[in-house]
Amino acid sequence: MTRLFGTNGIRGVVNKDMNSTLALQIGQAWGTYLKKTILRPKCAIGTDARLSNHMLKSAVTAGLLSTGCDVIDVGLVPTPTLQYTVKEKRFDAGIIITASHNPPQFNGIKGTAYDGTELTKEVEEAIENIYFSQQFVLSEWQDVGNYSTWDGAIELYLNGILSLIDITSIKKQLFHVILDCGNGAGSLVAPILLKKLGCIVTELNCEPDGTFPGRHSEPIPENLAMLMKKVSERGASFGVGLDGDADRAIFIDEHGSYIWGDKSLSLVGKYITKKKGGVTVTPVTTSTCFEDVIRQNKGRVIYTKVGSPIVARVMKENNAVFGGEENGGLIFPEFQYCRDSAMSLAKILEILAIEKRSLSELIAEIPCYEIIKTKIACPNEKKEPVMNLLAEEMMTHNEIIDIDRTDGLKLYMKDGWVLMRPSGTEPIFRVYVEAKEKKRAEQITIFYKNLVESIIQPL
Amino acid sequence: MNQPISKHIFRAYDIRGLYNKDISPDVFYKIGLAAGTYVKHTMHGTQICVGSDIRQSSQSLVHAFIAGVTATGVHIYYTGTTSFGQTLFTGGEFHADLIAFVTASHLPPEWNGLKFYYGDGVGFPEENLMAIRDLVIQDSFELASWNHIGQVTPVDAKSGYKRFFSSQFKFKKKHTVALDCGGASMTLSAPEIFTALGFHVIPVYCDPDPTFSKRPSDPKPKNLITLVQTVKKNNCDFGVAFDGDGDRAVIVDNTGQILTADQTGIILGKYGLKKKKGTIIVNVECSKSIKEQLEPLGYSVKQIPVGHTFLTLESKQTHALLGIESSGHLIIPEYFLFDDALVIPLKIAQILDSIKKPLHDLVVETPSYPTKKEEIECADDIKFEVIEQLKQKLSTEYKQANTMDGIRVDFKEGWVLIRASNTSPIIRLTTEADTMTVLQDLSSRFMKIIQEIIQQIKTK
Repeated sequence: MTRLFGTNGIRGVVNKDMNSTLALQIGQAWGTYLKKTILRPKCAIGTDARLSNHMLKSAVTAGLLSTGCDVIDVGLVPTPTLQYTVKEKRFDAGIIITASHNPPQFNGIKGTAYDGTELTKEVEEAIENIYFSQQFVLSEWQDVGNYSTWDGAIELYLNGILSLIDITSIKKQLFHVILDCGNGAGSLVAPILLKKLGCIVTELNCEPDGTFPGRHSEPIPENLAMLMKKVSERGASFGVGLDGDADRAIFIDEHGSYIWGDKSLSLVGKYITKKKGGVTVTPVTTSTCFEDVIRQNKGRVIYTKVGSPIVARVMKENNAVFGGEENGGLIFPEFQYCRDSAMSLAKILEILAIEKRSLSELIAEIPCYEIIKTKIACPNEKKEPVMNLLAEEMMTHNEIIDIDRTDGLKLYMKDGWVLMRPSGTEPIFRVYVEAKEKKRAEQITIFYKNLVESIIQPL
Repeated sequence: MNQPISKHIFRAYDIRGLYNKDISPDVFYKIGLAAGTYVKHTMHGTQICVGSDIRQSSQSLVHAFIAGVTATGVHIYYTGTTSFGQTLFTGGEFHADLIAFVTASHLPPEWNGLKFYYGDGVGFPEENLMAIRDLVIQDSFELASWNHIGQVTPVDAKSGYKRFFSSQFKFKKKHTVALDCGGASMTLSAPEIFTALGFHVIPVYCDPDPTFSKRPSDPKPKNLITLVQTVKKNNCDFGVAFDGDGDRAVIVDNTGQILTADQTGIILGKYGLKKKKGTIIVNVECSKSIKEQLEPLGYSVKQIPVGHTFLTLESKQTHALLGIESSGHLIIPEYFLFDDALVIPLKIAQILDSIKKPLHDLVVETPSYPTKKEEIECADDIKFEVIEQLKQKLSTEYKQANTMDGIRVDFKEGWVLIRASNTSPIIRLTTEADTMTVLQDLSSRFMKIIQEIIQQIKTK
């Protein structure tokens, strides 16, 4: 049976594989699951800015109500705003209709637990099992849930961020920020936050629009070209680009240069551990620059499998001070256990205000590594035997000084590392290589790519 | 989940069924898909205004309906939980192509359903509802592509509606009125509007009660004991009771007498209309006293078949001043074409304001004839044949026989009406006459005729 939930909720093309029938039944499956342990579950529901949001929200709402859950509709909000609301208002679950950075014809359904964290695989599987077996427990007429709306989520969320940030220091600096919300849900939050922090804001694509007329919603360099140009043209302090549901933020330095997520993650990690040390958490795909700066500041790094819900859970278990991914998704545990672009933005402002240096200067202090990411076609059924053969083969390689099997196979050499992991969603092997020197990174890449291919071939 | 949808939930004027048995969010999702497809294709329209009554199951149904409508690319104006009049009024304000209201009217709380109206307040005709039914049964829907999915605009149905009444009604006197909302949808509009208009309101079941635990939502006399007592105890000028969604109002006079819809209609016609010439619409079940009382004043009384669809449509076409259904649906097109219950008590108060007599004096002036309603058991598969044969037989015997809806035969001293029930294995015989003797005579004579025909068909 195909799994519904991917790494980030259920996704699909609207009115094809993502339609109201599915959404209604997911609502019923979810409600049935919640009712097993909670007498009268309270679920918050929200959406990003996509055109199909109202349809899918209505369908999920109908499903939840019919199983006896109360639904509180918080409207159009960023994903982290919904997550914070669930935690602070003590709801039992949160549902957000979003397809994050996917193209506009996509939409999806993503859930959070009572504490605002993303659902664990176990819970997702339990919901899927109810869905596939169609074992919905529908309420009698007198127990159907109540529907209400609440428009206080954004204010609650902004106040939460502002309570944890040095507002005074930031305000003194009169930062000029170019903000590109990509017409996503962040449009409702980020401009207000920046204004409350005394920044001069130049808005790019800050009107919520489900057709995403300004740019594609994934904040990768080619989609942020306009933002980069504006930052250097206007002489702004920096630029920031958000993804569709505003859980990830990518920064542009004052010269208009794109800062990779590893670097901003490291900068914030450095700043946080400098103050209090402690445990930080990141997936095995993250650049070594993160571990370098954390160690310099007497901190410790725990590596996890890929996926922000896993990072968040490991952070919680280890009482971590900070964590995140190399794609611009940063997690601030004193605020909440999920990726949060607005909090990332506020934190970068605070760092700049306190350090009183430019973003490019601060980033320049983060160690540099060459990273190469490639992929190799591999049928799904061959992934496991390939992994096993690879592991055997590695035993004979002398240059390997350490092996990490957290997610795929990560091999450390004295001057770099390679990570080979089968994709969870596509029939491919991903190969990540990192080394100090570009030439060396290329050399490792060619060697391991050939190796993986030579193992796949005879199979 | 994929259980077949029963055809029988689609009735002549609306959709009704038991929640989780005949109707469910799944069924309403499909009805939404069908309604959206119908609006797009047949009406070449773009938007539906939808709201729901206060029933506990309404929210899951209305959201499923919205999910279906938007999937076809038709937009939604969503009024939320409202009285019938609030959603109908708002749909009109927004020029909606279609208005949908989730309700089972006066039925018990485990029931729910859906009514359609056009944006101008005319009821949705049976054949069009059946077209929507066929789309549902055949699973014949047209889905929109991702960039044409319908959008939902939540709209405030309360303030505009309230403003409308404030602009239409002004009272010289502070009337004392007992308001019985039965804990149902009129709790959402009536108390506030009456208070705003300066009434002294004595509330009876005016707190929202989605399970109708205080009184059944059908405002028939036996359910109005508390209201009658309240009117008497507080020396109210009058009292009013509403049904579950707010399309019927029952008036109680200052002595505690419960008025029939015909009596209320006559008082409205005699004292409440500005124009002294024009059409008044009544259905075939209405009392002959309406014609007797109102025609001498200069109005022409026109008879129509039973059903609020005919009432609203005929009123629109004839520019009628008043429409009366003996079941309690009353319309005053000066305000709305649809059967909003709130207009009725306000109009009564306006009459009292100018007449300066207690309501009971007006009731006493209105003659009330003895009536009798009987039910004759008759199997569903033959009941319509029985009616057909009766039509033939009676049309030849009585040249004044009227067959627009069942068979009605008028005599000098009374009339009889024979109709098949749409929902139960029953034939109904209604009789009205000047005296009890004539009533008994007419009733037993036609009862015999009906039974003979049933026997003939049974033994054939």
